[in-house]
Amino acid sequence: MKKLLIAVAIALPASAMAAGENNIGNCGWGSKLFDGQSGIAPQVLGATTNGTFGNQTFAITSGTSGCTQDGAVKSNWKTALFIDGNKEMLARDMSVGSGETLDSLAHLMGVESQDRAAFNRVAKENLWKIFSADATADIMANFRQVLAADAQLARYTAAL
Amino acid sequence: MHRLLLFLAVLFPAFAAAADPGYLSELVARSREQKLAQRPEWRKLVHYEPNLIGPGVHGLLDNRAFYNSPQGKTDPRAELEATLAAFFAPDSKQCAFIARRAWLDEELKFDRSRLPIDDCPKFREWHDALNAASLTLVFASAYINNPSSMYGHTLLRIDARDQNERTRLLAYAVNSAATTDEQNGLTFAILGLIGGYPGTFSVLPYYIKVREYSDLENRDLWEYQLALKAEEVERVVRHLWELLPAYYEYYFFDENCAYHLLGLLQVARPELELTKPFRWWALPSDTVRALARQPGLVANVVYRPANATLIAARVESMSKEERGIAKELSQGKPGARDALRGLRPDEQAAVLETAHDYLNYRRATGKAGAADPAALAKDLLLSRSAVDAPSQAPRLKTPPRPDEGHGTSRVGFGAGRRDGQNFQELRFRATYHDVMDTDAGYVKGAQIQFFDTAFRHYADEGTRLERFIPVDILSLAPRNDFFQPLSWRVAGGWQRKFVQNGKEPLVAGLDGGAGATWESRGHKAMVYGLAEGALQAHHELDGGYSIGAGARIGALVDPTPRWRINAYASGMRQFLGERDTPATIGVQNRVALGRDVALRLDFARTREADRRFNAGSLSLQVYF
Repeated sequence: MKKLLIAVAIALPASAMAAGENNIGNCGWGSKLFDGQSGIAPQVLGATTNGTFGNQTFAITSGTSGCTQDGAVKSNWKTALFIDGNKEMLARDMSVGSGETLDSLAHLMGVESQDRAAFNRVAKENLWKIFSADATADIMANFRQVLAADAQLARYTAAL
Repeated sequence: MHRLLLFLAVLFPAFAAAADPGYLSELVARSREQKLAQRPEWRKLVHYEPNLIGPGVHGLLDNRAFYNSPQGKTDPRAELEATLAAFFAPDSKQCAFIARRAWLDEELKFDRSRLPIDDCPKFREWHDALNAASLTLVFASAYINNPSSMYGHTLLRIDARDQNERTRLLAYAVNSAATTDEQNGLTFAILGLIGGYPGTFSVLPYYIKVREYSDLENRDLWEYQLALKAEEVERVVRHLWELLPAYYEYYFFDENCAYHLLGLLQVARPELELTKPFRWWALPSDTVRALARQPGLVANVVYRPANATLIAARVESMSKEERGIAKELSQGKPGARDALRGLRPDEQAAVLETAHDYLNYRRATGKAGAADPAALAKDLLLSRSAVDAPSQAPRLKTPPRPDEGHGTSRVGFGAGRRDGQNFQELRFRATYHDVMDTDAGYVKGAQIQFFDTAFRHYADEGTRLERFIPVDILSLAPRNDFFQPLSWRVAGGWQRKFVQNGKEPLVAGLDGGAGATWESRGHKAMVYGLAEGALQAHHELDGGYSIGAGARIGALVDPTPRWRINAYASGMRQFLGERDTPATIGVQNRVALGRDVALRLDFARTREADRRFNAGSLSLQVYF
């Protein structure tokens, strides 16, 4: 989580710079995610979720038209942001045991091809546990526990 | 003098290595010799367009900082020379104008010892995060029932080296859009017409746009992967960096998102001229077509059906019983659980997946229809995860691509007979699609026409304007047990009409209506009914106006893929202003002779101001 915080701190000046002199609005997506969130990282992510099952991401997307920031997301919190922005579809893919949202997550986490089938199966079997909470940070913690309990997949806990 | 230089060097570290003002004049002289300011590369990098009236050019971007010279917006050479000078300045603009620098360096071969090159770490960091390998133009198709979306929308996707078709969600997307929080579609449309919003470029994760278009707005996405070389992709990425802080005045029709995305894309190759055909009119679907027409530019096209499209396909392949269970599950009805147990595992999986997706569709469209939709969605997913069966997602046949549809402008040459009088007719429609046109590449039942204009010549009365309808929108959205959209229409313009005093003036009118549409299985027929209201104004009308209410019913039938029939009847009671009860019953036929050519054969019997008459016409329509 510390890592996330630092990444946020690095990202902010970059977006402020790219917004440039015109100051005609900032990136809805970025600002809503980070605006006024000086606290710990779970709060940063919590702000976007509001305890719902991911539906809040839709509210975030509607504000993107004013985006003038460079928008590139740093790799070390890409995974957290991806989960945060795709909770609903991720849960859906996990319930089926396949899908592009799940594939994309596996790719972000660096899951190797020989482990993909196990990754998908474990996610499907433990959906109830992974999504027992709604906040992104909790979902990640749950997923980490689930992976840690599986001999083949335990090494991927560090990627979350 | 030395002391002064030293002082300058301390004050402006960039100057320390540069301090060679003679080199700037050398570069300027060479740029004039090579006529760099007239080159297409430069014209595209600064977005110069020829002036509409008179000689000269103007830059399309509207923020001061995009130009280094005070005359930069209209003087390409002054801008080029000021850009070179800015590279020498203490607060070097090299990183802000990284694409211009790269091109000028290619042409003038900067001597590094006389013009130090900035490292631009922020650009590099951003550039490496994008990790661009190729570019994809993404077209979001029409969103039925929302007129401001009917033209579609385009995005440019930056595909990274380590991605494949299964992980495209991780790409970045470049969006070019009007900056506004305006939620009212009409206000947006009007202010958008007159350049009332600043347009900007932004970069955001592609998944955000996919969630928005595919899951929330239910618009199918078309991904046109472009065959560009690595250095061509680089040029676009560098230029994107320059455009991020810039803005332009957004014009809905011409200088819109699609136009400016082409402006960005065409820096890829000096000879690529994408914006030229769109000086007056740039529909996103037309820009996609322009891209597809460039030989060898489109490598591959991927279709990404929206959530609602997938649900419709699932529902079609299900039995009546399964549909019933899926719907009840999505409403949280307890009895459905028992019914589910009677199905095979793969059927259970299909029903649960459909129930969840349908619930999500309803949540996204604001009509969840369940006490706690979030908990119910979660519950359905948990049930699905307990079923041992692979994904039951339907395999959709890719429909005709948006660039494969008919041209959006149309001209018609026709002849006919009305009430015993022959006429010839010339008809023109600026854009875009009506329900009688072929649907390939369009959304069936979604009509949006701008500037539908007809001139008629009668032997007795000479040539006259028959109709001029600036806006005509009709949305026939079929209903079934899963989807219950409203059908509606709104149209405004001038049209010839018999009035009680016997004349046939060009009456100004505004009419609209709302109702419902149903479609047959197999999509061969649609029936619709709308309640309508109309407001008319002309000094020949009794009292100068009339207000009426009425209804329209009809059926659209496709006996063959080329032939479409629209049989309709409409009637109205004008109860305020001039009184009348006009009514029409008619049948229209369209036979497509090719993608861009069609025959129309129409018959109608009309009652208007107590006159009863028949009319028939045959016309040839050409799309372009």
